[in-house]
This record gives sequence, structure tokens and C-alpha cells, in this order.
Amino acid sequence: MANATKFVIADNDTARAIGLKHLLEQFYNADVYLSQSPESDHSADDDISTRYLVSADMLVRNIDFFIARRQRTTVINGSDNNSGMTSIDSTTDESELIEQLGALIVPKDESVSSTTLSQREIEVLRLVAMGFINKEIADTLSISFNTVLTHRRNITAKLGIKSVSGLGVYALMNGYIRESDLKR
Amino acid sequence: MALIQPTSTLSEIIAQEPSIIPVINRFGIFLGTGDSTIESICADKKLDTEFFVMILNTFTNEVYFPEKHLRSINPLVIVNYLRLTDCSYLKFQLPNIERHFASLLQHSGTANNLKLMRAFFDEVKEDVKAFIESDTNCWFTNIENGTPGISGYHTPDDGEAIEEKINDLRNMMIMHLQGDYDPNLCYAVIVAIIAFEKDFRQNNRIRNRILLPLYRESSNPKESM
Repeated sequence: MANATKFVIADNDTARAIGLKHLLEQFYNADVYLSQSPESDHSADDDISTRYLVSADMLVRNIDFFIARRQRTTVINGSDNNSGMTSIDSTTDESELIEQLGALIVPKDESVSSTTLSQREIEVLRLVAMGFINKEIADTLSISFNTVLTHRRNITAKLGIKSVSGLGVYALMNGYIRESDLKR
Repeated sequence: MALIQPTSTLSEIIAQEPSIIPVINRFGIFLGTGDSTIESICADKKLDTEFFVMILNTFTNEVYFPEKHLRSINPLVIVNYLRLTDCSYLKFQLPNIERHFASLLQHSGTANNLKLMRAFFDEVKEDVKAFIESDTNCWFTNIENGTPGISGYHTPDDGEAIEEKINDLRNMMIMHLQGDYDPNLCYAVIVAIIAFEKDFRQNNRIRNRILLPLYRESSNPKESM
């Protein structure tokens, strides 16, 4: 679902991981992925909105990966000293656990939740629809490659459209480009 | 939904999950099954009950995917199922969306953006047809003939790109439809798109996660050791 918080649960205890996944999906509409190898698993894009729920043993096995993402990492039944990572207690009662998970949900960014595109996003959308690749868009608008990626992610989140031709149709129906601008 | 068992009554499953109707049709099973169980229907139709139940379960439970069991199935059985699935897309599901779209356009006037969405659907349809044609003429035939190699095989990314476009089409209809249109006919289009989207996604899973590894193993037995 667009704008839902993304979670990756890295836990060898499959039953616990599934339990947490169901709670996050049922109560918070989160997008949840289970992973045994978060470093190499790309089922969920690792962007700044992705949160990690990790068991202590998985944390140790992938310590470099999680240290680099400590602001977004929560250790399941972790100790007080988790290098800046938060922790949850999975042995508590159900209501309390649901509340703990709720505290991990990132509030919606209003600039992203709106379906109105910014002027810059419209410029990026036009170029995408015209068949420009990300590098060309960055050069044309004099912005960095990563900024283009951020704009594209925000456009997709706002419009619910990801494919280039889908974005082309949207640009066309809103008058951002003409039919002759579409690259086929 | 609870997992389906061979002893489950098929009509009860259909009542809970009508989206399986096109799936059972592919196996030559049609409505009017009374209170027959799945195993008795499969025995009558000479179908592999285990495979049929597996397909129904993967279809009704997106998180359930019995990879190990499915990999024990003869690849030819899976190819046969995917051929039936592709045939169902071309003969029924895509024409069904087309029919609903035509009716919607006919009864909705011109002050809307439906024509552009219809054009996008046409593009999706051509992508699906090309994808199916490649599977049918190259990959599936190779498997059936025991020919090694995976020539003509569309990568999983190709299937995912189509899934993405179908999802875009659905979201366009839901989020960005403007102007004057017939709401009931529009609902029919959206339901047909959502049904097709689910079907295509589930079959891509079987194709990419079961058939492709099985085929690679049989083509390159040393690599799989």
C-alpha cells in the first residue's frame, strides 16, 4: 500500500517473525518482508524509510549492516545498550506488544502523502515520460542522480504509478506532455 | 483463508473465494459441483489431487508457497498447467477486460480520460501476449522436448514489469479517473483487472520460483549438485 511503513524482519525464529509480521500488517497496514539475509536480500528496497526488526543473533551476524542503519533498527528482546538501536520486548502481553510496534511506525511525511506533485517532480515526470534515463534527467535538471531517484520514488508514492509507460499516460492525461513527446 | 484440504468441499471453497473459479475451469472443473469433495472430483476427472490442492492453496494464500512440494512435481505437469493458464488469459480474461472496457467507453460519453486508460490496457495486453508467445514457442516447447538450455526465456524481470503495469492500470482507474463515466461499468472493469492481476502474479511465482529452477537443474545437472 502506498505510503505504508516498510519493515524487514530478520529473525531465525520463524514463528516469532510471522507473528510480528501479522501484527504489523493487521494493526498498522505495514509492508513487511521476512529475510534471513538482509544484506543480500533485496525483496524490500533499503531506503531511509525501511525499518529493521532484528533478533540478537541476526544482529551479531550482520553487525556492520545494522550499525550503518542503527537509527532504523530495533532489536527483538535486545539489551539496553544496543548502539543507539531501539528494542522491543516480545515476551510481554499482546496489547503491550502492539503498542511497542506502533511506536516504530514512521508518521506519514505530509510532503509525500499529498497526491499533488511539486514543480520539480512534474519536471522529472515529464522527462521520464519522454524516455530520459535517470542519468540524463540528472544532467538536464542539474541535480544529483540520487535526487532523481528520490523524486521518482515520491512520484510513484503519490500517483501509485511506477512503470515508465504508466507515468507517460499520467503525464499525457494531465497535459504535462503531448502525445508526440512520448517515447515508444 | 484456511488451507484447502483434499477432503474440503469445493463449492464451500468457491463460496469463500470466488476468484478460484477461473483456476478450476482450467482443470476442466465447472460450477455445479454440489457437495463433492476435491478428492472425489479429482478422481472423476483423473486429476492429480495433490497438485490441484497445491495450486488452489498458492492461489488463495499469497504467503503460502510450498516450494519443496511444488519442486517434486513433474515439470511437464507444471508446463501443462501454465499453458492452460496462458490460454485462459488470451481466450477469456483479457477479452473479458476488453469487453467491459468497450461497454464502459460506449456508455460514458467523451468528457473523461478513459480512452487513455484503454490505450494503456492495450499496451499491457500486447506485453502479455508477447510474454506468452515467447514461453509457448520457445521455453515450454524446449521443456516438453527435453531440449537443454533456456533459449527464448523471458527473465523474471519481464514478468514483474508486466505485473507493475497491470498494477499501474488498476491504480490509474482507482486514483486518477476523471470526468463523466458509468460507475457500475467502471466497477466491472476494475474487478476484471484486479482478478487478472492476482492470477498473473500467482502464475509468475510458479513459473519463476518452481519451473525455472527445475528446468535449470535438469539442463545443468552438474551446476545443481
